[in-house]
Amino acid sequence: MKKEKVRRLISASAMLFPLLLTVAILTSLVLKALPIISLKSLPTLIFSSAWQPQKGHFGLWPFILGTLWVTITAFILAAPVAIFTSIYLAEYAPGKLKKILAPGLDLLAGLPSVIYGLWGILLIVPFISKYLAPLFSSYGSGYSILAAGIVLAVMILPTIINISVEVLNSVPTELKEAALALGATKFEVIYYVAMKKARPGLIAACALGLSRAFGETIAVMMVVGNVPEVPHTLFSPAYPLPALLANNYGEMLSIPGYDSILNFAALLLLLIVLIFSLMSRLYLNRLKRRS
Amino acid sequence: MVERGRLSLRNLNVYYGRNQVLKNINLDIPKNSLTVIIGPSGCGKTTLLKCFNRLLDEIEEARVEGQVIVDDQNIYDPGVEVTLIRKKMGLLSQRPQVLPMSIYDNVAFGPRLLGQKDKSYLNPLVEKYLRLAGLWEEVKNRLNEPANRLSIGQQQRLCLARGLAVEPEIILGDEPTSALDPQSSRNVEAHLLSLKTNYTIVLVTHILRQAKRLADYVAFLYLGELIEFGPASEVLVSPRDPRTRAYITGEIS
Amino acid sequence: MDTAWEKAKFKRPKRKIIDSLFRLAAFSSAVLVVVILTLILMTILIRSLPALKLSMIIRTPGTGYYLGHEGGILNAIVGSLELISGATLIAFIIALPGVIYLNTYLKKNSPFSEAVRFSLDVLWGIPSIVYGVFGFLLMLAWHLRASLLAGMVTVALVELPILSRAMDETIRMVPSEIKEAAYSLGASRWQTAIRVILRQAFPGIITAVLIALGRGLGDAASVLFTAGYTDRLTTSLFQPVATLPLAIFFQLNSPYPEVQQRAYASAAILTFLILLISLVIRFFSRKLSRHKIK
Ligand SMILES: Nc1ncnc2c1ncn2[C@@H]1O[C@H](COP(=O)(O)OP(=O)(O)OP(=O)(O)O)[C@@H](O)[C@H]1O
Ligand SMILES: [Mg+2]
Repeated sequence: MKKEKVRRLISASAMLFPLLLTVAILTSLVLKALPIISLKSLPTLIFSSAWQPQKGHFGLWPFILGTLWVTITAFILAAPVAIFTSIYLAEYAPGKLKKILAPGLDLLAGLPSVIYGLWGILLIVPFISKYLAPLFSSYGSGYSILAAGIVLAVMILPTIINISVEVLNSVPTELKEAALALGATKFEVIYYVAMKKARPGLIAACALGLSRAFGETIAVMMVVGNVPEVPHTLFSPAYPLPALLANNYGEMLSIPGYDSILNFAALLLLLIVLIFSLMSRLYLNRLKRRS
Repeated sequence: MVERGRLSLRNLNVYYGRNQVLKNINLDIPKNSLTVIIGPSGCGKTTLLKCFNRLLDEIEEARVEGQVIVDDQNIYDPGVEVTLIRKKMGLLSQRPQVLPMSIYDNVAFGPRLLGQKDKSYLNPLVEKYLRLAGLWEEVKNRLNEPANRLSIGQQQRLCLARGLAVEPEIILGDEPTSALDPQSSRNVEAHLLSLKTNYTIVLVTHILRQAKRLADYVAFLYLGELIEFGPASEVLVSPRDPRTRAYITGEIS
Repeated sequence: MDTAWEKAKFKRPKRKIIDSLFRLAAFSSAVLVVVILTLILMTILIRSLPALKLSMIIRTPGTGYYLGHEGGILNAIVGSLELISGATLIAFIIALPGVIYLNTYLKKNSPFSEAVRFSLDVLWGIPSIVYGVFGFLLMLAWHLRASLLAGMVTVALVELPILSRAMDETIRMVPSEIKEAAYSLGASRWQTAIRVILRQAFPGIITAVLIALGRGLGDAASVLFTAGYTDRLTTSLFQPVATLPLAIFFQLNSPYPEVQQRAYASAAILTFLILLISLVIRFFSRKLSRHKIK
């Protein structure tokens, strides 16, 4: 019986680990970020675009904007393609084709971000600088928000597609048949019935993709240019928060406040991502439980 | 002159992959009457019903041979507009399938697809068919509520009203009362009976007593074959085929 | 009701056109996704072929490697394998008892298990760069240098929620009759009970571990400041360790074309390993699920 107690204790504490880890990550970041928050005011840190650590200017606005631009570009590119693809897979594709496409999507989902980044450097960046940007009379290296947006869009495609397909498949066949029996075309069934029924799930899928896009680091930083300025067009370079961390965190220069501001940046990133991912996870879990 | 509401099957064979589930069926379903299809589980009743409005098209591995003739036209002819075929038939499924929208929108769904957006046309239409399905008094004050708030029995009558609103000639029902409580079942049955003067009704059921209550004609299906078809008084009372007799006396089920 | 019929005739072409266009849009999107996938694989393959030599995978970087001289990335291959096996082991050791507790001792939807699952979801959502930051803070607290150990711990944290959630899903799937039959063997034979459940969930657990391995193998952001980098093979937990993603990343930043070529070759190697893992996952989930009671 004693053995049983020990076993219980160990497995209970193992179970508690995720809870403790969550708390630990949040508190350590908050503690490390506090010095700079108390030194400067929160609005200055977030909304000032002056980033000159040597002079003590720690405005994160360019980085926040960079994150937003890149993520939103990626989302606008990815969401329609992903939703349409999942509609094709769930409603139109013959069974054999589904069997072929599923491993392909899994592979796409499993490819490491460096590979995506490399692909971006080899294909997307030159394409933008040589062909696309000149069309809009913009001449640059191609390392830009658009490049990062495209790479990121491709990366979040499988996330959105996989969840959306699952959500669409959960719409009962009998319901679709009922609509067909009223003389609806396939489009009308999908649009007015299946997508309407699946709408919360589809939104959650997109939000999850969005949250992945916010936090993606390596692939984005390989193609985005990393210039700490407020971006103006899709062809400008940018410097998103994750890239800021990746490029500077380990070094910890002996500038006062520098490590604290980086920790604050990490905290900020964490909070943004968590808002999206938690909302969608909670939502999806609730949907799953209901079905 | 085209006779509306007649339904005939000629040499109908249906396969799921290599598995043949309907074998050489020939059947003429009389118009403005209620025909009940009976038979043991898995004998192909649902499949037969899905042939009538080409819902089998949606099943990848299903293959149909032979003819299904509605209004003197083989609906499996190439070039036939399948949505118009389906519009000719209302469908009641085993569990009521209300669309994810309001009660009103459920009934108006079919007419709206046909381009009818005019409220002054839709309002009386919705009322007419809800009345016909015996639901109007119960829902007239809550037309804009989501349809899934209705009870199961009410939902099935809503499905009936929705099906009637596309002005079909034929009503197909696949055990439409099996998910309902006895009271609601009776209610739906009563409405089906009152509808048969204007519609051709084909009903699949497991319940022999229901068949006796409702049927003008009965078709008995066994292992994919049509064993017997005729007026209810003959098939249910003095069946010719021993298999039909065995089923009716409850020896096979 | 002839008006409806008239309208129907009028509307039909438009409805059919919309229907076809929609189908076309869905189909083209799917094609686009396939094209993109092919494009990625082809780009990596074609660019890496000239540099894919045997020496890439059997040698560590020689002197002047980053100027384009002889050598390979054995250090990163071995380093990555060391790192992910250690990390996955740590994650597994924490995840398994926790998941078992979650599914055996706790009631199905107790607020406690909800809270734990919720925190796993929170952890899953945290970007790996933030884990990198947290790992670095841990290093500072424990006075560790960037090392294999620090990298392992950090990657283990990244893998933990993935592993736990995936195992949780499969163990939850075990039919409750089997669970009940197992528990009725009595508390003293707890281990037997667990063994029955684990056997049922075995393919799922293997799959979960493989998914975690793949995730760890590809993750660069979390090891960026925790694992360091070295041109030699790592033989101790306290030495820095090279990893494949960072090998690609660093070689790519070189101005020498030969070195960049090798980055492509390294990418091909990494892609191959990921492909291998995903094939094994498919193999396992198909082959092993046959032994499950349905
Ligand atoms: N989509 C399908 N793919 C393959 N076989 C099918 C499919 N649907 C039905 N079947 C098979 O076809 C046969 C007839 O099925 P059907 O659903 O028509 O029977 P049924 O008479 O309606 O049965 P029940 O009374 O149980 O509803 C069954 O053997 C069934 O297993
Ligand atoms: Mg049936």
